[in-house]
Amino acid sequence: MTLSDWAAGIRCVAAAVAVAGAVAAALPAQSEEAASDPRNWGYERAQKSVPVVPGDKASWCRDDIDRFVVTGLHAAGLSPSPVADPAVLLRRLHLVLTGLPPGPEAVREFLADPSDATYDRIVDELLRSRAAAEHLASDWLDLARFADTYGYQADFECRTWPWRDWLIRSLHENKPWDRFVREIVAGDLLPDATIESRTATAFWRLHRQTNEGGSIEEEWRHEYIADRVDTFGATFLGLTVGCARCHDHKSDPISQRDYYALGSFFAIDESGLAPYSTGGVPQPAIRLMSTEQRAEAAELRAAVATAQRAFDAALPDAAQRAIEPVAERLPELRCDGDRRTRVKDVPGFTRADPFRLELELWNPTESERAVVLHTSRYTLDADTQGYQILTRDGRLCWEIVHHWPGSAIAVRTKAPLPTGRWVRIVASYDGSSRAAGLGLTLDGAEVAIEVVRDHLQGPATVRTFELGGRDRDRGFAGGRIRNVRVFDDCVTAASQKLRDARRALHAFVERIPELMVMAPHRHSPARYLLRRGAYDDPDPAQPVPADVPASVLSFGERSRDRLGLADWLLAPENPLTARVAVNRLWRLAFGRGLVAAADNFGTLGGRPRQLALLDALAVDFQNTPDMRAMLRRIVQSSTFRQASTCSPELRERDPDNELLARGPSFRLTAEVLRDSALAASGLLSDRSFGPSSKPWQPPGIWRDAGVGWGGADYKPDQGADAHRRSLYTYRKRTAPPPDMNVLDAPSREVCIAARQSTATPLQALVFFNDPVFTECAAAAAESVVGAMPGSDGSVRLRELFLRLAGRLPQPAELRALMPLLQAGSDDCHALTLAASTLMASDVMVMLR
Amino acid sequence: MNPFLDSTRRAFLGHSAGGLGALALNDLAGGDGVLQKPHFAPRAKRVVYLFQAGGPSPFETLDPKPMLRERHGEQLPASVRGGQRLTGMSGHQTNLPLAGAFTRFARHGQSGLEVSELLPYTARLADRLCVIRTMHTEAINHDPAITFFCSGSQISGRPSMGAWASYGLGSDNADLPAFVVLVSKDARRDQPLYQRLWGTGFLPGEHHGVQFRPGKAPVLFLDNPEGVSDDQRRAQLRALRELHREQFRTEHDAAIQARTAQAELAFRMQASVPEVADLGSEPDSTFALYGEGARDSGTYASNCLLARRLLERGVRFVQLFHQGWDQHGNLPKGITQQCAQTDRGTAALLLDLENRGLLDDTLVVWGGEFGRTSYCQGRLTKSNYGRDHHPRCFPIWLAGAGVNAGHVHGKTDDFGYNIAEGAVHVHDLHATMLHLLGIDHERLTFRFQGRDFRLTDVAGRVVRDVIA
Repeated sequence: MTLSDWAAGIRCVAAAVAVAGAVAAALPAQSEEAASDPRNWGYERAQKSVPVVPGDKASWCRDDIDRFVVTGLHAAGLSPSPVADPAVLLRRLHLVLTGLPPGPEAVREFLADPSDATYDRIVDELLRSRAAAEHLASDWLDLARFADTYGYQADFECRTWPWRDWLIRSLHENKPWDRFVREIVAGDLLPDATIESRTATAFWRLHRQTNEGGSIEEEWRHEYIADRVDTFGATFLGLTVGCARCHDHKSDPISQRDYYALGSFFAIDESGLAPYSTGGVPQPAIRLMSTEQRAEAAELRAAVATAQRAFDAALPDAAQRAIEPVAERLPELRCDGDRRTRVKDVPGFTRADPFRLELELWNPTESERAVVLHTSRYTLDADTQGYQILTRDGRLCWEIVHHWPGSAIAVRTKAPLPTGRWVRIVASYDGSSRAAGLGLTLDGAEVAIEVVRDHLQGPATVRTFELGGRDRDRGFAGGRIRNVRVFDDCVTAASQKLRDARRALHAFVERIPELMVMAPHRHSPARYLLRRGAYDDPDPAQPVPADVPASVLSFGERSRDRLGLADWLLAPENPLTARVAVNRLWRLAFGRGLVAAADNFGTLGGRPRQLALLDALAVDFQNTPDMRAMLRRIVQSSTFRQASTCSPELRERDPDNELLARGPSFRLTAEVLRDSALAASGLLSDRSFGPSSKPWQPPGIWRDAGVGWGGADYKPDQGADAHRRSLYTYRKRTAPPPDMNVLDAPSREVCIAARQSTATPLQALVFFNDPVFTECAAAAAESVVGAMPGSDGSVRLRELFLRLAGRLPQPAELRALMPLLQAGSDDCHALTLAASTLMASDVMVMLR
Repeated sequence: MNPFLDSTRRAFLGHSAGGLGALALNDLAGGDGVLQKPHFAPRAKRVVYLFQAGGPSPFETLDPKPMLRERHGEQLPASVRGGQRLTGMSGHQTNLPLAGAFTRFARHGQSGLEVSELLPYTARLADRLCVIRTMHTEAINHDPAITFFCSGSQISGRPSMGAWASYGLGSDNADLPAFVVLVSKDARRDQPLYQRLWGTGFLPGEHHGVQFRPGKAPVLFLDNPEGVSDDQRRAQLRALRELHREQFRTEHDAAIQARTAQAELAFRMQASVPEVADLGSEPDSTFALYGEGARDSGTYASNCLLARRLLERGVRFVQLFHQGWDQHGNLPKGITQQCAQTDRGTAALLLDLENRGLLDDTLVVWGGEFGRTSYCQGRLTKSNYGRDHHPRCFPIWLAGAGVNAGHVHGKTDDFGYNIAEGAVHVHDLHATMLHLLGIDHERLTFRFQGRDFRLTDVAGRVVRDVIA
């Protein structure tokens, strides 16, 4: 490893030198100073300076965007392209803003009056539509690595869709960008935090989580924090920071220390493993209560309080104890550490029950960990549900657990448990779900204890009662246990009433689904830089309190929590956040950002050709943090409205359209391709929000992969649910929907800021043969034939073309498709062949 | 007239995509690799990787340890274990008793290679194998470990081995994907497999491994929809070409012609894929070699035979996966079954390749993602035991092109717990595989997020000792 670190360092130095050279060569002379600065353009605050447009070009300009573009074109000896054909422009506008093509009526209306006023009205209508929010959300789902399963090994389902609903709702109500960011980053810490704002923070929990038996929890906790840091970097700073996990990032001014300090914002009280035998939700989590449910829960809580008062008034505690045990095992047990002894007929106490365990222990040694008594199925801490007595570092621990450590109450003795002699232990619990309700006595005397966890939020279901060890855990080797007695301390009418009130509250609350979210860590361990990124090699000389890369902007006096981090992101002096946000909106319209490498605003990303434009938009966005307004400006610009057609010379000179001498053209995303086919054929369901849907996919894919233990296969939804928009498609990370996969949709295993866009033969097979698409082709054909029963074939073909492509065909296009009218077995079939062909063609696959 | 099936690739491209830029050519599946020519003379033209997923135990297969039998039930000395981390499954065990193998080993061939009695067919080919007994890896759980083996990184999103080979060298068959994946249907599916294991990562999408499934339509979406004949599909493709011609006239975008070419290639795959996957044309002698089980499409044996058919048609990289080697408990029964399912098919593939003269330039690799502990996980009895994951040392074997046949590389200690000499890291294996393909692993790179990535990350050295 040392050798490879060394090699890595050498490589990065070499790369940095090469890039610095390239950047310097590309910059005009007056920028030399900036080029020699180890920081680069991305780290300098954006300035706005609108150029003076040459007189004859001014009339072309509708927006500052156009002023930058036309000035650049003028300097390059070029002129803008003419405005696109109205039907092409309308299709472009619809697809960019909503991800759906315009319907035939919309096309006809616009063609009847393609004025600026009509265009502006359509822009506003589209921007306000739910479809627009859904389309914008699709982009965020890649950043959020949003999926419906945990993504490792057995890849079980996890419940994430409430976050997607939050996202769509937020975009639909056009939540101001600064509020949007604050909710995602620190929705739990806001002074006005609500269930909604806490839901936003699930963004940081959507990374993959492992359930694999034997995983080392500490390793995975670090893994998850690393994912959050990588996602933070790519989403908000446009930076790929992952390289700094193992060593200083020579090419960007992000140090290894920066990397771990950033991670300290994202440490939460989590297990490291997704619970699998208890089937719960990883903690920390919130219950997504409606207003009515909150009111009902408050009533139940009030009932508990009333019962508590009656209980307190009735008798002193000591008198409330049972005298006779409900279960016991008296003979001495000599433990070897592996063998476990089960005691039958112990009542399955809930967390509402007061109960007490008495036992005598002979502790051989102050061991690091030993299980004395437990009631769970497995050892893995995420699954140690129930109650348990352990020794940890020689000290006696008494714990009641829903999911360790995020939802549990636990105390431990301050002094080690005596060794080499019998000790009589009483561990009691009062049913309060609070650590204060846990009692421990040794040889009849109170002992000094400390609270380890005090946050029990769910059922601590008992599954067994075992002494001396636990499956896959470290047992009480060499220890002895005798005279074990279990007491049910719910002995008076008052205590029964209190227990019943608590049970009623728990029964109500625990039925309400949970969502994993961010929450402050009440027991945060000190964090250190990890040498070479290894979880088990922290450098004690380098503690890493929460901090940000000062090369971007120093953190200043802000509060050292995620709320402060959100403020830092949104600070006017922060050079990256607004640029990255604006660049993402630009990419939505043009298929390519003004900075092409969306996750690489660092040195290696190169200086963007349209930096001045980007900066002007970033400054405007900081002043008016309104995503919808920014999108409106972009699509209303003359730049956007240009025709995408161009001469071979221009295409060769500017293949990526960096100069913007023509309108956008790009391949549509997997989601838009499928959604367009569904919409154009009339099959698209308009059901929004809620759990994911399962459109058709070839049988056997889940089963074959062995994914989802038990051989469960994918069961497609029937009817309209199979035809919902693709952002609602169920995403199993280890076996993603195959057609989406072929069309370059990422697997959602990690944060992706910019997708690939490829053309492969498998894509042609999808368009022509995938039932998801052929069903659409057939439905489109049928509906055209149904609507125009007596029409001539070419008239129907024109209508089909209009519905699918959002414009009428050119004569040559019609001629190309006409032979298919003779190829089909009947009219409908012939049109189906034509529809399939269109779906596979540039006409539908590309935005032009 | 069939304008597609009878044309050579070059003529086809010349005809349909005149003026197609180099960029668009690279977008074509079955196209040329990024390397104009290999960095040096390749020993292997193609690879078949027989991945035994789950972590086969060394002690019952290729690395006999008599001492484990002698000291059966004794504790693993702490000095041997050192600071080695254990999984959470056996890491808390109070006892770590050594478990001797229930199997016997014998020496085979002129090389005297020791192979377990559970692998009688493989044993007969001892002189063709080069066993590396000293593989080691960094991961200790299945998911990260198999991801690491298949892509050189535990982190998701990196290209897989086959994707790199496809990216570097392209394909020798324009009508088939360069990288094909086959998953045994007869395996015990304990540990899952993931798409990412044959993913393309950040490399262009056409390098993604294409999974061939059992049955008549091995590739997803290969069959025309019901009611669409080949003639009708041809008519569609003609219409598509005409549409694109019109589109190109105004857009001058080479991607348009690339899309035409892709659709036509897809059409050819509709013929070439079922042809290669149809084992009906194989003579009875083939099944005498592979076993009758090979007639059942999707079994390991059948996939071995299919692998040969793919390789002889120029597919660059074929990767088989056979799950079920994860014997935490009941190892004797479990591993006996695993070996019985795979041994004959593996050996038959080797022999078949040899008989056809393909073994000279085909690299064959056999192995899993890690090894297993020499101590027992769970309860040790006289005849039953289990073994936990062990990343510190485990055997794999190579055969074929340029491989030092009949050779054993490296030595593990008497406990089978640590490497005594000749350690080979996963990156080293990858470097060696690329080397045999004529590729300098440090020079096959792809720029992504501002950094040049490679299969071997920033490590890897060619293991000269395993090369003849």
